[in-house]
Amino acid sequence: MIEWTGLSPDEARQFLANKDKSKRDKRMSLKEAVQKFVKDGDNVGVGGFVNARQPVAIVHEIIRQGRKDLTLSFASAGLGPEYLAGAMALDESKNSIKRMEFAYFAHEAFGISPLLRYLTENNKVELEDWSNYDMSARLKAGSIGIPFIPCRSPLGSDMLKTNRAKVIDCPFTGRPIMLLPASHPNVAIIHVQEADIYGNCRTQGPMFTCPEMSMASAHTIITCDRLIEHDDMTRFPNRVTIPFFSVDAVIEVPFGAFPGNCNGLYYFDEKHTAEFRGACEKLRKGDPTPLQNYYDTYIFGVENTTELINKIPLSQIQYIQKIEPGIRLDAGYTVLG
Amino acid sequence: MANYSEDFTPQEMIVVAGSKTLIDNKVVFAGTGLPMVAITLAQLTHGPGIVPVFEAGAVGPELSRGLPLSVGGSRTTYKANYLLGLNSAFELTQRGFCDFGFIGGAEIDPYGNLNSTMMGRFPEDYQKPKTRLPGSGGASDMACSCERTIIIMVHEPRRFAEKISYITSPGYLDGSPNARWRAGLVGQGPYRVITTKAVMGFDDETKRMKLIATMPGETVNSVQDATGFKLIIPDDVYEFEPPTVEEVRLIREVIDPQGYFVRKKIKE
Repeated sequence: MIEWTGLSPDEARQFLANKDKSKRDKRMSLKEAVQKFVKDGDNVGVGGFVNARQPVAIVHEIIRQGRKDLTLSFASAGLGPEYLAGAMALDESKNSIKRMEFAYFAHEAFGISPLLRYLTENNKVELEDWSNYDMSARLKAGSIGIPFIPCRSPLGSDMLKTNRAKVIDCPFTGRPIMLLPASHPNVAIIHVQEADIYGNCRTQGPMFTCPEMSMASAHTIITCDRLIEHDDMTRFPNRVTIPFFSVDAVIEVPFGAFPGNCNGLYYFDEKHTAEFRGACEKLRKGDPTPLQNYYDTYIFGVENTTELINKIPLSQIQYIQKIEPGIRLDAGYTVLG
Repeated sequence: MANYSEDFTPQEMIVVAGSKTLIDNKVVFAGTGLPMVAITLAQLTHGPGIVPVFEAGAVGPELSRGLPLSVGGSRTTYKANYLLGLNSAFELTQRGFCDFGFIGGAEIDPYGNLNSTMMGRFPEDYQKPKTRLPGSGGASDMACSCERTIIIMVHEPRRFAEKISYITSPGYLDGSPNARWRAGLVGQGPYRVITTKAVMGFDDETKRMKLIATMPGETVNSVQDATGFKLIIPDDVYEFEPPTVEEVRLIREVIDPQGYFVRKKIKE
């Protein structure tokens, strides 16, 4: 038996079997959603991939409320865990990450994660390294209700010496195969382009591991750039990537993935990302003031994402919309408030 | 006689060598950074039929909307032929749909095993490493299950070590006969290592790294001096041809005019 983080497969099954799966209006404020569904000590699945469709608005609200001893589960991420790590570095008594189950924490073209270095090199967080496929396959196992999933990579890697994977001889071929334990976070936090009031989600661009993550988790909070009519959603049933009964809360948050990329709507805001990342790097090198100022301005100094966006020059917002090369969303729907 | 560039940088040389290593009409699973630049260059020159795959889900997109800054960014998805998510992309590698994986790392050993996880003692210092690196991402998955792997590295003695801190992405493991097969792997392993100083491959018998070509301005000795282990030096080592003026122009003016990946350090 292994120690399960989040829910064990049997607990996850029991939880879902008892859950209200009705098709009901799940709109609420982001404050309320975080109060209800994110608890101290939770295993939190962070949706998106590196800095694309990161659930930044949800993470900022978690930070404003303060949550401790979180386990973060993700394949690759940048902004989401960086913001949580920054909050922890500034005031560990208010926000803290206890553990990370992950494959990659950095910002690709925008640089490494200063706070991954800060947290790990000071031994402030427990690590469990996996590959991107491993984390995705673990969530897939969770989403389809099986306790483990066989996988071929990374057999031969040192990752297997410190994570909970097991290598067995395949009972059918006789060759070694790796078994990954399912992942069942307590809550998945996911940003999408479009959702309806019931929680059906239509994503643009890569789906990353968001559908699996939502369906594996006990709860899911969805923020969306646009809330759309249910009838518009169901015009294309096979474009629904996350089904309503997997979702607990839906909040319309335009620019909820800013300063990251949201396919079809806005590209990376390099300037803002560099400002944040630069402040993180200064903290790592011993000067917390710029990061404290950043949080006071953009997170603690605002109530929500709208107020954050109000602090960004309009020209900068227009620029990230103009350079976004993803396919634009369909326009033939009524936008709901 | 080709019109060779006279002011190319070592990184541009890597990109051009990487591009030339790619074969038209093959499926190439691309890691972030210089591999994306090299694939784009290959598509613009000899390999218009190369099918790029990005781990966030995009298969066979056109890379004509600007250099992707992320393997999950919007620029990887333009006119993609197939677009799901991470599981579907990695499932393709296991099934055998991906001919080449194209990755980098911070450290490499003679058998092509790569480290992109941590520097320091492992496993003792795993939870408090001397230097923590970003982690595997999808590199280890590509190294395991793409049919062959092409590796891009900065060529420094400390990065080419007989023993590396941590094996993130498996190469030929300990080099023993059929080591990969016995470990349960399906891909054939590393094919080429392309650096600022040389192009290398692996000996069929011992699976140790062998020199194939030196980059312009380098010699067998200068390459060996920059390598922290003994390279196999065959008799037929040749000098790799320099980039052409046109290749350098494409990199600077068309593919990465802002210098996101080409003028920066390759990987920390």
